[in-house]
Amino acid sequence: MNKRFQKLATPYLIWLYILALFPAVFMFGLMFFNMEGIDTDEISFTFENFKQLAEPSTRIALLNSLKFSVLSTALCILLGYITAYFLYKSHIQNKFLVLTILILPMWSNLLLRTQALANIMEPNNIFTSLFHIQVKEDAVGIAGGDLAVIIGSVFTYLPFMILPIYTALEKIDPMLEEASLDLGSNEFTTFRRVTLPLSLKGVVTGSVMVFLPCMSGFAIPEILGKGNIVMIGNIIEQFFKNMNYNIGSLLAIVILILILASIALVNKFDKDGETVL
Amino acid sequence: MRKDTPKISSISGKEIATMSAYGYKDYTILKKVLKILGWCVVISVAIMLYLSIFVIFIYSINSNKSVNEFGEVTLKWYKEIWTHRMLRTSIINTFAVSLVATLLSTIFGTLIAIGIYSAAKKKQKWMMLLNNIPLLNADIVTGISLMLIFSLLLRIFPYIFGFPTLIIAHVYFTLPYVILNVLPKLREMDPNLIDAALDLGVKPKKAIWKVVVPAVKSGILSGVLMAFTMSFDDFVISYFTTGNGFDNLSIWIYGSIGRKDLTPAVYAFNSLVIFGAMAILLSVNAVRRKNLKRSRKS
Repeated sequence: MNKRFQKLATPYLIWLYILALFPAVFMFGLMFFNMEGIDTDEISFTFENFKQLAEPSTRIALLNSLKFSVLSTALCILLGYITAYFLYKSHIQNKFLVLTILILPMWSNLLLRTQALANIMEPNNIFTSLFHIQVKEDAVGIAGGDLAVIIGSVFTYLPFMILPIYTALEKIDPMLEEASLDLGSNEFTTFRRVTLPLSLKGVVTGSVMVFLPCMSGFAIPEILGKGNIVMIGNIIEQFFKNMNYNIGSLLAIVILILILASIALVNKFDKDGETVL
Repeated sequence: MRKDTPKISSISGKEIATMSAYGYKDYTILKKVLKILGWCVVISVAIMLYLSIFVIFIYSINSNKSVNEFGEVTLKWYKEIWTHRMLRTSIINTFAVSLVATLLSTIFGTLIAIGIYSAAKKKQKWMMLLNNIPLLNADIVTGISLMLIFSLLLRIFPYIFGFPTLIIAHVYFTLPYVILNVLPKLREMDPNLIDAALDLGVKPKKAIWKVVVPAVKSGILSGVLMAFTMSFDDFVISYFTTGNGFDNLSIWIYGSIGRKDLTPAVYAFNSLVIFGAMAILLSVNAVRRKNLKRSRKS
């Protein structure tokens, strides 16, 4: 392509420097200072903020975030891979329809969906009312517990796992599987040694796409955990709400480091970014 | 895979070697079991994805305001969408932000993609890495980052928080989707096309409009669709970057859930959106199939 079109991308580079890179540097700086809101009048240099990392509340929140996002991601990999594989194997001609079915739930508001899930996790819910089911007096729902948060995350983020895996599977040359079968390996060996390794980059991309929002989200634990379960996202939100930008920045940087590691991971497995979308 | 194991050497009449003697194992039953199990998983995944939407639909036709008791079927909440002032305002805000942001990111995203495509390899790589940041970054970090930038601008533009900041934020996180959808289509395009147009005396601007854009229009379309989807459903980034009094639907819902006074009209609106999206996507699908059939015939 003509070199003169190059300069069309230059403004975007500046835009990304200002909106993506600069804030990271800025937050990195903020964590060494102490001030009121964004006011620079009473600013002082300090390492005090790092004490927050040793606080039990932060540690529990970080561990919670890790625990829930690892579990949800693992469940999503299991369910997502099977679904993507069967969709791929079913030879549905219409790929667009498959994508439609997966994307459609995202048009519904995330908070409303989460709230709806929270409601049907109560012992007395709309279905028991609709079908006149008598609920025992001492019945306890799962809302407010660990299971509720995991279910909420899996139900919400599953499409982000299915889509990249499906894309990766679609890109495998069908000749490779035929060759493997012709050369004497059975379907299981073919899957293990040909299909699975080739679709792994979809799994990596999908895992990152599920893991990161699980890790940093604050709406799902708040609505489904009913305040019993605090994750790192909730703590960050609280600090920024109370105008404590310094400690908030520090915790955000912790998440950012995890994210950069994930981006590096995706880049390693999927160099052209084929499965990111 | 036939179940009856064929005789390999029956000429001598004595030694009968079956296929299993050669290491062939009969997996027919196991395969069937796995297949049934697999489809069970697929069906339960479909239920998982659509359960909450189904519940929201039931709420939207429930005359009882309580979310746990069903009264009778009613359509009154669908009427209330238009009369509930706060809800109506937030819906209008959501549409305004998403439409403007999607329009801007479609135009700029396409131009940027052309720019990235014609840049040198090394610069291309660096830009793609940066382009992944808004996409993979956690919403909360993106939201906070943008909020910090906007608070720095507050001294110059005192009234920036609200519609302008939301537009910038939404353009920021939807641009990568457009770029990533357009770029592969550019790579598929014949690189000589544009040179031919320029050699024949077409001005560069016109060459982009008349040659490149038609060649990548399917990429632009899917970019638009994704950008709008993401912008429409965004909560966290909007939550951090909006100002007082300018609520989009998600922010308003979050507030209402906190106050426990969510009106069922919002369920009605949500169901309408789902039906609308379904209609649009199915009709796009129908048009595509028609075009496919036509192109196969000719």
